[in-house]
Amino acid sequence: MAIRYSWMSPRLALIPAMVITAVAFVGAIGWTIYISFTKSRRFPNYDIYWENFWRQYKRLFNDPNWETSINNLIFMTIGSALAILFGFILAVLVNKEKTGEGVFRTIYLYPLAVSFIVAGIVWRWMFNPVLGIENFLIELGFENASFNWLAHKDTAMWGVIIAIVWHGMGFYLALMLAGLKSINDEIWNAAKLDGISPWKFYTEIVIPMLKFTFLTCAILLSLGVVKTYDIVLAMTGGGPGTSSWTPAYFVVNAYATRGNMGYASSAAFMMLLITFAIFLPLVLLTRWQTKRKEKEAV
Amino acid sequence: MPEIRFKDIVKQYGYVTVLEDLNLKVSDGEFLVLLGPSGCGKTTLLNMLAGLVEVTAGEITIGGKDVTDLDPKDRGLAMVFQSYALYPTKTVEGNLKFGLAAQKLPKAEMMKRVNWAADLLQIQPLMKRKPAELSGGQRQRVAIGRALVKNVEVFLFDEPLSNLDAKLRTEMRLEIKKLHNELQKTIVYVTHDQVEAMTMATSIAIMNQGVIQQFGSPDDVYENPANLFVAKFIGAPPMNIIAATVAIKGKKILATHAASGVSMDLSKYDFAHKPADGAKVYVGMRPEHFAIGSDIAGKEAASFDLPVLYAEKPGSDGNAYLNSGDEQIAVRIDSAMVKDLQGANASLKIAFPHDKFSVFDAQTESRI
Amino acid sequence: MANIDISEREFKHYPPKKKKIKGSSIITFIFLAMIALAVLVPLYVIIVTSFKTLDQITLGRIFDLPTTWTFEGWNKAWSEVCSGMTCNGVKAGFFTSIKILIPSIAISVGLASITGYALALWKIKWAGSFLFVLFICAFVPFQVIMIPLVLITAKLGIYGTFWAVAIVHGVLSMPFLTLIFRNFYKDIPPELINAALMDSGSFWRIFGEIVLPMSGNIIIVVLILVITGVWNDFLIGLTFGGFGAQPMTVILANTVITGTGAVRYNVDMAAALLTALPPLIVYFALGKFFVQGISAGAIKG
Repeated sequence: MAIRYSWMSPRLALIPAMVITAVAFVGAIGWTIYISFTKSRRFPNYDIYWENFWRQYKRLFNDPNWETSINNLIFMTIGSALAILFGFILAVLVNKEKTGEGVFRTIYLYPLAVSFIVAGIVWRWMFNPVLGIENFLIELGFENASFNWLAHKDTAMWGVIIAIVWHGMGFYLALMLAGLKSINDEIWNAAKLDGISPWKFYTEIVIPMLKFTFLTCAILLSLGVVKTYDIVLAMTGGGPGTSSWTPAYFVVNAYATRGNMGYASSAAFMMLLITFAIFLPLVLLTRWQTKRKEKEAV
Repeated sequence: MPEIRFKDIVKQYGYVTVLEDLNLKVSDGEFLVLLGPSGCGKTTLLNMLAGLVEVTAGEITIGGKDVTDLDPKDRGLAMVFQSYALYPTKTVEGNLKFGLAAQKLPKAEMMKRVNWAADLLQIQPLMKRKPAELSGGQRQRVAIGRALVKNVEVFLFDEPLSNLDAKLRTEMRLEIKKLHNELQKTIVYVTHDQVEAMTMATSIAIMNQGVIQQFGSPDDVYENPANLFVAKFIGAPPMNIIAATVAIKGKKILATHAASGVSMDLSKYDFAHKPADGAKVYVGMRPEHFAIGSDIAGKEAASFDLPVLYAEKPGSDGNAYLNSGDEQIAVRIDSAMVKDLQGANASLKIAFPHDKFSVFDAQTESRI
Repeated sequence: MANIDISEREFKHYPPKKKKIKGSSIITFIFLAMIALAVLVPLYVIIVTSFKTLDQITLGRIFDLPTTWTFEGWNKAWSEVCSGMTCNGVKAGFFTSIKILIPSIAISVGLASITGYALALWKIKWAGSFLFVLFICAFVPFQVIMIPLVLITAKLGIYGTFWAVAIVHGVLSMPFLTLIFRNFYKDIPPELINAALMDSGSFWRIFGEIVLPMSGNIIIVVLILVITGVWNDFLIGLTFGGFGAQPMTVILANTVITGTGAVRYNVDMAAALLTALPPLIVYFALGKFFVQGISAGAIKG
């Protein structure tokens, strides 16, 4: 009797999670895709628009704002990669010096505890042309200083990227630090005895050893960028004009401002495809990694 | 010539003094084993020699040159690590070459040394593999190879065999010993395994609590342990130690074991200084020095007739454990006897020869 | 030769070695310190601005300390600023956020710990496949499932209440938190569970009596993730809270970003700081666990 009981219970306990997965994730994704082919506008309408099946997608690919969003996505991914680079450099230095490691890590990481909305508000305030850093620099004597990035189409995304790097650098530092500490102490000692120069040691030993950490960081970063919404809203409100839109911003805008569910759904589906395109390498990599580990264990 | 000297070495971690006023001299070409239980300071000592751990006070010289504050790479030594510490991103060949490339050695010389070491260790077929693709024994060989190519006079080994299984360990032990015989370089080798120490070393430093308890040849530390700790640490089963009281009767010096009443004749023992009448001592007897049954000649210094607690046969020889009141006495026996002694109520007559005792002061625990 | 225990050994002071303090060490340290200061600049700016008078702010000089320290900005931010039509300050949002937070914690921690436990320690053939699905779900952007979730909560009649926000938080964080719990429980030695299985065999009793008491650390880690995550969320609150259940971030955004009327930077900064304060307090108090949470979040198979 007891055995039957314990056979049932774990399966019963999994039901809520399975229902949620089936409804809120799998079902909802299907639902979103479905809506994108219907005549839904402000309210759901479940008739599929057979006459013009790809209507929303055609519209999407001709929408300059979508193009801006995609361009910004790529630009932001490349720009925010600075956070990984800085994170790694800082992790190496913090790990090497040891002095004040805890304090430095605490300081570098605190922005992560701040919401994107608050972060965006603070950075927007610092970018304020009249009262912010620009004014400060001019008073210091840099007459031509220009820190009014958010007001110009060409520089607005740079402003957002600075805030994102500030926000995320500590996260990558923490991951990199964990990676560095996972390297066997004796390898550092062996290199010391061999008289390997730090440059050679890092480029030929440490960085290749951490390649999985780097890839994880890169994928987490790109997934984070795809979802970027709050900070853009808080810093630029998508502007000037629509120059700082992102895919996530586009979807919310299509749904909440334009009130077009079908259109928003088609863009959301594209977001999902982008996510999977980034995600797929990670899955393959994890598989490959576990296989290699199994091989090592043999 | 690289004679290594530790002079008045002190090591403190925070407010804990791990090593205090340690002095040690390793002659050229010697195979020194630092032996001791974990936490005795042997690895700290090795790491200080390598330059990986700073000394708090004192001086280390190699070949007369003060290296105390020198960078590890400038000390002219090579090291084999417990976890092998191979560079996982490099092939075997890359591992051997990496340190040499850092020295800016000419290509030809580099290849010559790498090939020489690879031949010597028979790792030539593995050269293109990564460490992850090697077995434990192969990694060990590569780690030794990486030390050999550096062509230095002093090699350090930090428990290099502790990650191998028993069979490989025996093999590698022989191999390392052979290398030492061939190359005649100075080796400092850290281990907690007394078999490794006894079989490989030309001299052993036994450490405990950060103090060198005895420094001498393997025979010396085995036959003449300097104190109780060494006596108990070396040998399997270890030396039997029984508490006894000295009684001087004319020319005879006797020690009586209180629990069994047996008296041992220590007259022929080579005392450093003679104990007084009534002095408390510990008498040590190696299990294999007992004469048993028909081998007893009758002229031995002490004889016992004790009940057998149990007998075992761990290998080619057997051990019997006898009950002598408050302690056990281990005796090496012929393996054929094990079966007979395993029965209930078995007892064994044993005797101990005059020239094999070790006697320690009960107070200082040092040899007298 | 006597063996004195190391810990009982008398401590002698030796003159510290003249350590060659390397120039590179000093440069590294200064560099790290400068970066740290740069990272702290926004926090500094937000704090000093919130205490300044509006008159001083309009002079520029963003980095100056307040000439007169005033709580005016804080008071106004807390109880007077307007979000849309109502002018009750961020205070209202604070209480809504707490109302959202409590059921969110209960739902997500309860759900994820039990699911993670069942998947990690009980032999279920399809556990691997389910984990894989959860792993993928953990990375699905919210926008992709936003519209159906709105429709579902509307059907359930909870749209626009804090319940909707809390439940959506619980649902969305379930896959990720389950993976964290599962990774943690996976490392419990199987002997322990086998022994427990022989003793009682009950799924729930093993959970309550053995597994839960061992989960102290991981629960703190997850609590930190949930508290900071829910508190800092904006989009879910905006989408599901309607007008009736706007969390603090939404109120803040409404006042500062889309607010009309004269801009009062000191009030804005005070409101932002008030909103950021709870997670910052959690972070500085429990930083160690925060770091653990991040490492747990980094995918480990």
